[in-house]
Formats: sequence, C-alpha cells, structure tokens
Amino acid sequence: MTSGDITWAAGSPVRNGIRQVLAVIGPDRRDGMMADTLPRPANPGAVAILFLTVAMALLLVVLGQGAGRRGEAPASLLFWAGMALAVVPLGFRISWPQVARGERLLLLLLLVEALFYCRTIYSPTSFTPYDEVLHWVAAEDLMTARRLFLSNPLLEVGSTYLALEILATSLADLTRLPLFAAATLLLSVLKGTFIVALFLLYEKITGSARIAALGCLAYMGCSTFFLFEAMFSYESLGIVLCTLAFAIEAGSRNLPGGQRSRALVLIGLLLGGIAVTHHLSAVYAAIYFGSVATLELLRRGGPPRETKMAVGAVMAVLLPLLWVELNGTHLTAYLGPVIENGIKILLIKLHGAPAQLSDAVVAAAPSQPLFMRVTTLLGVLLTALGLATGFFRSLALSTAAAGRSGWWSIRDVLGRRWHESRIVFLSLLAFGFPLSVAFRLSIGGWEVGNRMGTLAFFGVGLVVATGIVHFWQGRAPRGWRLVAPPLALCVIVLGGVTSASLDPIRGPYRVAADSQSVEAMALETARWTKEWMGAGNRFASDRVNSLLLAGYGRQDVRPDIAKGVHPSRVFKSETLSADDFWALANSPVDFLLVDMRLTTAPPVLGFYFEPWESRTGKPIPPAALRKFENIEGVGRIYDNGFIRIYDMRGMHVRP
Amino acid sequence: MFAPNHRDLLIACLWASLAVVAVAATDNTILRTVLCVPVAILVCGHTVLRAIGIGAASRAEHLAYAVGASLVVGIAGGMALNAAGLLSPLGWAVWFWLAVVGSSLTAARRGGPAWTLVAAPDVRRWHVGAVVLSVLVATGAYALAVRDETAQRQFKYTEFWLLPSEDGGQLRVGVRSGEEKGERFDLDVILDGQPLATFRSVEVAPGQTWTRELPVAPAAVSRRAVARLFRPDDNRLYRSASALLTGR
Repeated sequence: MTSGDITWAAGSPVRNGIRQVLAVIGPDRRDGMMADTLPRPANPGAVAILFLTVAMALLLVVLGQGAGRRGEAPASLLFWAGMALAVVPLGFRISWPQVARGERLLLLLLLVEALFYCRTIYSPTSFTPYDEVLHWVAAEDLMTARRLFLSNPLLEVGSTYLALEILATSLADLTRLPLFAAATLLLSVLKGTFIVALFLLYEKITGSARIAALGCLAYMGCSTFFLFEAMFSYESLGIVLCTLAFAIEAGSRNLPGGQRSRALVLIGLLLGGIAVTHHLSAVYAAIYFGSVATLELLRRGGPPRETKMAVGAVMAVLLPLLWVELNGTHLTAYLGPVIENGIKILLIKLHGAPAQLSDAVVAAAPSQPLFMRVTTLLGVLLTALGLATGFFRSLALSTAAAGRSGWWSIRDVLGRRWHESRIVFLSLLAFGFPLSVAFRLSIGGWEVGNRMGTLAFFGVGLVVATGIVHFWQGRAPRGWRLVAPPLALCVIVLGGVTSASLDPIRGPYRVAADSQSVEAMALETARWTKEWMGAGNRFASDRVNSLLLAGYGRQDVRPDIAKGVHPSRVFKSETLSADDFWALANSPVDFLLVDMRLTTAPPVLGFYFEPWESRTGKPIPPAALRKFENIEGVGRIYDNGFIRIYDMRGMHVRP
Repeated sequence: MFAPNHRDLLIACLWASLAVVAVAATDNTILRTVLCVPVAILVCGHTVLRAIGIGAASRAEHLAYAVGASLVVGIAGGMALNAAGLLSPLGWAVWFWLAVVGSSLTAARRGGPAWTLVAAPDVRRWHVGAVVLSVLVATGAYALAVRDETAQRQFKYTEFWLLPSEDGGQLRVGVRSGEEKGERFDLDVILDGQPLATFRSVEVAPGQTWTRELPVAPAAVSRRAVARLFRPDDNRLYRSASALLTGR
C-alpha cells in the first residue's frame, strides 16, 4: 500500500489536498541512495580550492571580530560574509550527490575546524565564556595542587567530573604549553572526532555516506554545536565520548560474537569515561542505550535480537550511578531546580497564562540583531520542513530490508516489525526538537531546551538527511532539487551559529553579559588582586567579576556572603538591614569587589549576581553600590574609577 | 617480539619511549609537543585498539576510535596517577609509555592482521601548495586576532590602592596607569587625621606602576589610613583609598 493506493473520491479538493500532503510527508522513497552505490574517487583539486576559500573566509571573520572590537560599523558585514564563505561552498560540496565518501568526510572535518576557529578567535588568548572559566579554575587548581577532587565553590558538581581537566592538564604537563593552548588543541581534536563519529554512526545505520554527511550538516544546526560543545567545559568531552560509543555500537552490530564482545569492551571503557566526564552526557548515553535495548526487546521477527545491547544499556545506567554514589554527588540538587523551573514555565506558556515577568523585565530581555533572528527562524523552519518530509521516510528505512514500501512499512513499524532499532529510536528522538524549541522560547526554559537539543539533534540529523535524500533530491536531482537542499542545509548550519549566542562578534563592554562583560580593565583588576594581595583571599562579587577573580586572580570566591545570604541581597539593596549587617559581620568573606559599571544599564542576561535574584529590568541604583563607603570598619583598598575593592575584615565579629 | 605485521606497534613503543626521554630531559616546548601530543591523543588509543582486537572498516573509523580510546586512557591515567600521588609531567609520560608498551605487547601476542597506511589519492603539487597557503593564511589571521585583542582597551583608568600589612606596621600605596598618556599626580596619605606622607608631581606613564612602602609606628588600637590622589592640573581629587590598620 502506498499513498497512491489510497482511493479517494475524485474531484474533492480537500481530499486531493490531503493526498498531496500524505505524498509529501509519506514514507515513499525516491531511491536517493542509488547515487551512493558507486565508489567515486576524491577530487583533490576541489578540496584544495575549498581549503583556500575557507582560509579567506577565516581572514574575513578575523577582520570582522577586529572591527567589532574597535566598534566599527563593517564588523557585522565582514564577520557574516566570512561565515557564509566558510559554510556555503563547503556545505554545497559536502551535500552534493556523487561525491566520494572520503572527500565528504575530509570537508566535514574542515568545516567543523573552521567553525571552531571562528569560535576561538572571539577570545584568542584566554577563556571568557562563563562555563569555560569555571573549568579553567578547576584545571589551574589541579595543576597547582597536583591533586584531583578539590572543591570548586563556583561549580560544586565540577569536582566530581574532572575528565576534561585531567586531559587538558596532561597535555599542558607533557608539552609545557600554556593551559589555554593545550585546552584549545584538545578541543580541536574533540570537535574533529565528534564529527567523524557522528558520520560513522549515521553511515553504519543507514549504509549511506551521503545521508551521513547530510545528517552531520543538519546536526550543526543545533544551538549547542557552535559554542556550547566547543567550550572548555565538560559537555564538550562528554558528547564526543557518547557519539563514539554510539558509533562503535552501531558498527559492531553485524559482527560475529567474539568481535562484538571485543567492541563491547571498548564501549564499556567509553561509558566508564562518560560516567566520570559529564552527568548529562551520561544521561544521554543511558537514554540511547536503554531505548535501543528496549526497542530490540520489543522487536518482532527480523534478525536475531541483539542481547549484547542490553549489556551496553546496563553499563550505561549503572556506571554513572556508581560514580555519583562513590563521590556522594547531589546531582538532583544541581539539575533538579533547572529542569523543574523549565517545565513549570513551559506549562505556564502552554496554558496561555500571563507572563509572570514585569513589562520592564520583558523589555530588557536580551535581543539579537534582526538578521540573526531571521536566520535562526529560517533555520528552525527549514529543520521543521526537513523533519516533516523525513520522519516517516526515516522510519521506513528501519524496515527497508523487508522490501516493503509506502505506508505498509509504517504499519510494520507499528506492528514492531522493524529491522533497525537505532533508526526507530533516532527518528522518534527527533520529536525532541519541537519540544526543545518550545522550551527555548522562555527565559526560564532556555537552559533545558538548549541541553535537550544536543540529544534531539542526533535524531534531527538522521531525519532531515533522509528527507533530503529520499524526498527532495532522489536519484538524479536537477535544477532546484539539486541546489535548494544544500542551500537549506547551509542556512540550518548558519542558524546554529546565530542561535548559539547573543552576538558572536566581540564588541564593547556590556553589563552582566558573561563573555561580553569580560574586558581588559576587569582582567587587570583580577590580576592585581593576585599580584598585590596574594592568592586565596575570600572574595564576593557579581557573577562576571567573581569568575575573573577566581580565574585570573586565583582568589577564593564565595558564592554566598553567609549561609542563605546571596550576594545579590547585600549588593543590590540601597541600605543594609540589620540582618545584612549581621551576615557581613559573621561572614567568611573578607573582601567585596564592587563594579560601578553595573549601575549604568540593566543586566543583558537578566541578572547581575545569580540567576534566581529578583529581576526588575532596571539598573542597580548607584547608591546601592556606594553604601559600603561609610560603614565603620570597612576600607576601600582599591579603586580604579570603575571597580572598587572593600576590605570587610574590620567589621568582622570573630570569636 | 614484533613480527613484520606489527611494525606499527614497534614504532608506537619507540615513539612513546622518546616522549618519556623528552619530558625527562628537555624543556623545549616544540619538541615535547611534537613527541607527546600524538602519543597522548592517538598512539596509545591505537595500541589499545590493537590489544583489544577491534578491527575498523575504514581508516577514519580506526582513527576516531583510537582517539576515543586515548581519551579514556588519559582519564584513567589521571585517576591512577592521582591515587599514586604522581600527577606530574614525568608521571604522565610514564603512564602513557606503560599504556603503549603494555597494550603493544598484548597486541603482539594476540596476533591479527597488519595495520597499513592507505595510499594517498592523486595529489599534485599545487594541491599541497594550496593547503599549505591556507594554513599560513589562517595562522596569520589568528595572529591578527591576537593583536586586535591586545590592542582593545575600551576603558582608560588609573588604579590606586592602599594596602595594610598583616601586622599593621606598614602601608603600601600604589598607582598604576591604564590611561592613554602619561599623567602627573599629587598624593598624600593620612593616618588617623594626621599627615603621614606626601608625594608631589608623581609621573606615571601608561602601563607603569608607582609604589611606596610607608612604615607606621605600632599602636594598641586600630587606626584608619586614607590615601588621596590629586591631579595638579585641575587640583581635583581623582581617587581615594582607605585601609584599617589593626592594633597590637
């Protein structure tokens, strides 16, 4: 039964419309994989020209960043022209039919490394994103103390998951490179390994290098790909180990018993690595292996059930739990509130309840330039179109060996008669994409949606690629069918870049905007503390300066003034209450760093100190930050006109 | 010990040994990078894959798996060296050497097919030249980005500080310029309302630091010191700092 077999009363426009829609979304395939069947030689000439093109693109991007730093108008034009020049020619060549497998893979590597380069030159000599500095502090602690599991007050769970720091410091130790250089080298290897592993995963389960390459391009549309998974942060390593484990498992499924057991050993090692690397990556691995194993158990007929998959699933679940148990980590306390808040806000939105935020807060919400918003939106729409045309076709791929076509293959899936459980799972996983977009529409749910996207895009990549190969292009695409899908994929990749951050171009200082708040003066102040006060003094400050103090100043930054008293309470109020006085007098914090620039604008990310502080959408009143001037026992030991450091030791009550 | 079909294992062991020697004998960053990075990121994973007996369908597959295995060996090394109290450069070099040699011996005993390099496609001179040129352009662009970052100074400022010593017997006053051009300052320090020191026409060039250490007579009670920085050109109080000297 195919969509064409369904008989409809002729002449009814509604039914014709439905028939057409079914034909578009339906599982019929146009044998697009025929183009892959003949092995083709790589074209080194094309590769060489693309290398040169990418080099020119990178130069443009650098010029754009430089113009952005100087506040010059052409920054945006230069930067985005460079990004387009890097992505479009490579995207076209990678997704073009009848290109050699090795060439696709090499160009994918080139594209990924080019994107990583573009991310790195935002700050080419130091760590600036918030999460990066947190991990950098941990790595510096490791190199200084030569011990693992040291406490990290700014990221408590971080002391349990130190694999990235271990690897980066091992390279720094072995080579004597600065930690930043060693970490950048490691990250570039991780990015390359990730894309090769993802390519192998798709290729192993679909048997098509073209689908694999297109799937990798579609994955780059994920909002976490450009920045989040390229940072010096544990997820950048975790996701690579995950993808390798998925690819090895998929590649070993048809191997004879002994070889499959050996592959299981390697999968076990990788799962062990994931367990000690990153909590969410461990969850992703558990979801993947658990779901595929469950689908294998549910499957009827076809090849024998893969019982060893269950062993992988058990390892994927048990190893992270064992690690958490061994270290006594309270993951629920760390992840629980974020997930709970995200779901709560999503439900509020779904019920159409009025926003709980004031007009001022909504007005002050971070926004991007129009061009970036349009690109993101286009990327989302094109991804959705790819999902709509690829979902049933992707599901049908899981039954391909049975020789059934059209809606019969979907009936087979519903009857649990599929051959490839991984394809079924990844196709269903693509449903996570609309959910992640829904989460990202709210400030509170953004973080959950962002993290969801990382896993959901494994499915999105497969489904979109299947849609392109089996619907949009088919066996011998010509005209718009040849050009439009690669162009759409390029827009999706660029959408991944535009959705990754508020602004990927380095510009002037902005208030409470994480990376955009890091500039030379604040760095100098943090370094001054180390040079003139020594390391390890107990400090409290706003979010960005706390980070710089911990990283560049090597100070002991406390997340709380006293137990239950967050810095926002003490810093933001115009006068100190008796309770605040008590907290400061009994606080372990000896120094407060006050950045008067916070009074010049509302926080770009919505908060100055901690995400849960009350949000008014207005700047802190200057009087609030000046109130420490006239407190007895407090000295202003440092002042550069913008940033001040107060010595609070004189008001401490010590037993 | 190493049959002809295990030459890759022999090379791996030699490379790892050279890496240990380099770490023990030289501080040369380039030499250590060239020798140690491949061992830590690829070679040890390759030998581990050979020891386990995992055959990959393609070179790309083998390389990706080898990197993954190397990462796991590195993570395990961190845990092991931490437990042994040997988290040091030489500790790391020995760890990777042990991993490479141990897995190579296992692989050699196991046997299995030879590992060969694939033949390069039909690459011409201009292809190589284009790739080298691309790398040079990208490297030059990175250097430009570093220069741009160094030159970016949005805020012009003068740092001014007054730090008491732990025992309360000394004050350290300092000025550092982050301005565009040199500045001239007058500076005075007052202790408990009494002048302690005065400095006239202190010249501070951009990037320069000026400091003085001021001895303070001991006292039984805590005292407040105030330092003030004036710009003689407009006779304006430009910065002030204060510190509490603890009593003995």
